[in-house]
Amino acid sequence: MQFCTACQKAMATIVIMDLSDGAVTGSQHLCQACAEQLGVGQPKPPKFSAELLEDLLGQKGPRARSRPSEACSGCGMTPADFRSKGRLGCPRCYEAFRGELVPLLLRIHEAAAHRGRLPVPAPAAVVSEDDGRTLTDVRRRLEDAVRGERYEEAARLRDELRRLERGDAS
Amino acid sequence: MSKPRRDKQPEFRPGTWLLGTGPESDIAICTRVRLARNLQDFPFSPRLDEAEAHELYRFVTQRLQKPGLPEALTVLDLQPVEELERTVLVERHLISRELAGSKKPSGVAVDLEESVAVMINEEDHLRVQVFAPGLQPEAAWRRAERLDDALIARLPMAWSEEFGFLTSCPTNTGTGLRLSVMLHLPGLVWSEEIDKATNVAQKIHLAVRGLYGEGSRALGDFYQVSNQVTLGRDETTIQSEVLLAVGRIVQWEREVRSALLRGSARVKTLDRVHRALGTLERAQILTSEEALGCLSAVRFGIEENLLDGFEIPAVNRALLLSQPGHLQRHSKELLKPDERDQRRAQLLREVLGCQR
Repeated sequence: MQFCTACQKAMATIVIMDLSDGAVTGSQHLCQACAEQLGVGQPKPPKFSAELLEDLLGQKGPRARSRPSEACSGCGMTPADFRSKGRLGCPRCYEAFRGELVPLLLRIHEAAAHRGRLPVPAPAAVVSEDDGRTLTDVRRRLEDAVRGERYEEAARLRDELRRLERGDAS
Repeated sequence: MSKPRRDKQPEFRPGTWLLGTGPESDIAICTRVRLARNLQDFPFSPRLDEAEAHELYRFVTQRLQKPGLPEALTVLDLQPVEELERTVLVERHLISRELAGSKKPSGVAVDLEESVAVMINEEDHLRVQVFAPGLQPEAAWRRAERLDDALIARLPMAWSEEFGFLTSCPTNTGTGLRLSVMLHLPGLVWSEEIDKATNVAQKIHLAVRGLYGEGSRALGDFYQVSNQVTLGRDETTIQSEVLLAVGRIVQWEREVRSALLRGSARVKTLDRVHRALGTLERAQILTSEEALGCLSAVRFGIEENLLDGFEIPAVNRALLLSQPGHLQRHSKELLKPDERDQRRAQLLREVLGCQR
């Protein structure tokens, strides 16, 4: 046991080793508090911020702000109906109320994109010619980035998502 | 499914719930997979008018009856079914309380073992349910997946790459999968650890509910643990999360049970079990609540080898028959609540073989 190299007060409980080409080139002994402060603590269960994702993905984007939802062309459900019931009227409502739906899905599931089975086997669209950068894929990576607290990457992905949503080529 | 009977309720065998078999069946009674599915080109069920609901029901049942389905299902048209029979179906977990209360064209397609039930025109157009005894998420899932494949092949389902399967309520969007395990947790309840156990499950986004009774009160120490998140996690992840949490709860229950049977706690536990049996053997009036409590204690006593001469399937049967729908159906008449309590006491003595 030795004292924390950062604060010199508490007992060190975490050892950070620097590795270079498989060899240890240096080490740091830290207490839990200092390790957390330096962002190198024990991996904690990911603290997922639904609000944060909501900010990144949700209504605050320029697209959603400029185009408030209209009634669904499939079943005639109005945005007010949707808001009061919290239910969708028909499959097309998912597109019609996307702006309000995505934040709702994030609150419920802490995710806004599907993973798992689909009625068609492995749709080619997921791995498109564009390096797999479909809306869904980018959205998933954005969720993962926020979960992993990689906020710079999240911001970059958000911008990419916005571009894709606008239909820009790059 | 050569000749679907539509007017008469088929005579079912005891049902997956009552077998008392399967892995961890001393604590995990039954595993259920539920898939929410909807058709393209129809509004979701709550927004269908009478004619559309009828059209959807006709379309789905027609497609369900085409040969080649991996399950032999019998379609039961619910519209002509009376309230009491609907209650019986709810108590057997074949239809939901919501569907039982619906007056719209609706139905349920069931297999003879009562291990598969497809509700038609519930909140979603289709609610596929597959049951497996004990703790068997994977087996239940595989069977559900096979049936789902067949349904997808014959019905145009509503889905998108982004949101997965599209459902009426956003709480089911994505996989549409709700995986539940029904647990008998008398040890955790008696030693007042149940709140801690449910908190653990809730922390990883699993819902814990009482199986019987309204609201948060769990009668008879029966609980249901299920995933809440359906979007952003695939089916395998959902299964392993539920399995992990349930495995921990089962282990916890076992530890608590063995503590209840050690040292000074043992005599109290024995007293509780034997008092419950005494009540079932002698009581002339039994409310549903008291019956569930006593049956839970007796079930515990059998599982822990504290009682001789009783079998788990008999207790499971008693649990089912003590519920209002089954009780009245068994008595072949509608009974007032106090008549039910008398009849329940009598019937439970018969079922458990302790009639004097």
